[in-house]
Amino acid sequence: MTEFRSLFHSELNQLEVLLLDMSELAERQINDAVEALLQGDAELAHQVVLQDLEIDRLYVEVERRWHEVMARQTPVASDLRLMSLVLQAGHSLERMGDQASNIAKIVEATSTLPANRTILLHIREMRSIVVPMVETAMEALVKRDLNLALRLPELDDPADWLNRNMWKEVAACASNPEMLEWAIHMMLVSRALERVGDRAVDIGEQVAFLLTGEQHEFPEGWVPASGTV
Amino acid sequence: MTTVGKPEVNEKKRVDLDVPMETSTGMGLDTVAMEAVDLNAFYGKFRAVRDVNLSFRDKQITALIGPSGCGKSTLLRTLNRMNDLVPGARAEGEVRFHGQNIFDASVDPVELRRRVGMVFQKPNPFPKTIYQNVAWGARINGIKKDLDDLVEHSLRQAALWDEVKDKVDESGYSLSGGQQQRLCIARAIAVKPEIILMDEPTSALDPVATLRIEELIQELKVNYTIIIVTHNMQQAARASDYTVFLNMDPDRAGYVVEAGTTGALFTNPAKQETEDYITGRFG
Repeated sequence: MTEFRSLFHSELNQLEVLLLDMSELAERQINDAVEALLQGDAELAHQVVLQDLEIDRLYVEVERRWHEVMARQTPVASDLRLMSLVLQAGHSLERMGDQASNIAKIVEATSTLPANRTILLHIREMRSIVVPMVETAMEALVKRDLNLALRLPELDDPADWLNRNMWKEVAACASNPEMLEWAIHMMLVSRALERVGDRAVDIGEQVAFLLTGEQHEFPEGWVPASGTV
Repeated sequence: MTTVGKPEVNEKKRVDLDVPMETSTGMGLDTVAMEAVDLNAFYGKFRAVRDVNLSFRDKQITALIGPSGCGKSTLLRTLNRMNDLVPGARAEGEVRFHGQNIFDASVDPVELRRRVGMVFQKPNPFPKTIYQNVAWGARINGIKKDLDDLVEHSLRQAALWDEVKDKVDESGYSLSGGQQQRLCIARAIAVKPEIILMDEPTSALDPVATLRIEELIQELKVNYTIIIVTHNMQQAARASDYTVFLNMDPDRAGYVVEAGTTGALFTNPAKQETEDYITGRFG
């Protein structure tokens, strides 16, 4: 096949590479933020907050190139859908960085308060769910794999369940006012991780749109009308 | 309009109105202004257009896009039998207009061309005054009364009146390229057609004049069905309601790959062949 828009498609590839760079950073930040919480490592938490500046910088670069490509290349069809994905996935990854930063700031703010082991295990489990979800979403993009994208809502269910039930763990700390204060902050950490999972699902939805041309929030059991799964 | 495929994959069927389509007027489903049925066009032994089945919607803008030589202009010129004037040209199949096949012996091609007008690639005003350019078609069709009103009305519809109202007795050649093309559109309108065929009407114009014509086309569709051939895919995307993508076989016969709403075709084409062409991965 003859390629008549090689420069344009090269620019699209570069935007995808930027997204991958952002996702690697976002995954590392989330891992490190939770690790800082588990270890009570204020220095690591501080590093996470600083790393967020890099992911923000990458997102600004994505936006800048995105506008330039839109203005100069007027993409259509799958190229247009990829451009839609780049902007929305870029935003999702940038927000993941923000969530990691928020967790890190909570680590700094709660460093003098007593922690609860059950809640920490609970949060560690959430991390073990949502970080692979980000990997899965990006793998679905790189491989153009609709089946992988469609798995994301199912992967997200346990994270949602853990987040919904966090209040019970927090309530169990009620007898100790200082631990309760710490635990209430952990509800925010849980919520941040749950949002990371939601953002990964959003990227999966964008991948599905790229591959099928059908715009959907992922409902359970959704099968594209095009029947490509 | 839905997709019409190559005959060998047995998808050949006339596109009809079973697919709900949004219209820019929000008036619901449109009626069909003209239909091509199993239409083939030849120049001597060479088949330029193969097995086209399409419905063109009333008072909507349909763009024909595709690579050079795919038969877009041939298809367009077949729709008002303009190709009859080309030695060796002939058509098989039908083009139905008001229920009648335009190739029937009883159809007067001159009257057909009055009702299905044409605007060409390069502005081609007559070497006459602006007024005479517009009045000419009406005169040869026997219209003698109220010519002043007709000329003004046609020039207004072509968005040219305000620019020429004080110089209608000047030569049509005194106008700029964009104005000349609008003059040709006014001339086409003056004989009260139902369909206007446009063959790359802006290819000789600068960007501002091009956008002006595109705006005008949008205004004209209130009263006329418009079928436009364009090499400029972005023009098709900007200016049309429906788009037909034609490609050509190794034997260079043009065929319809896909037809549909312009929005759908440029965001999520149904055929990989369309996708490859409009994204520049063609060959």
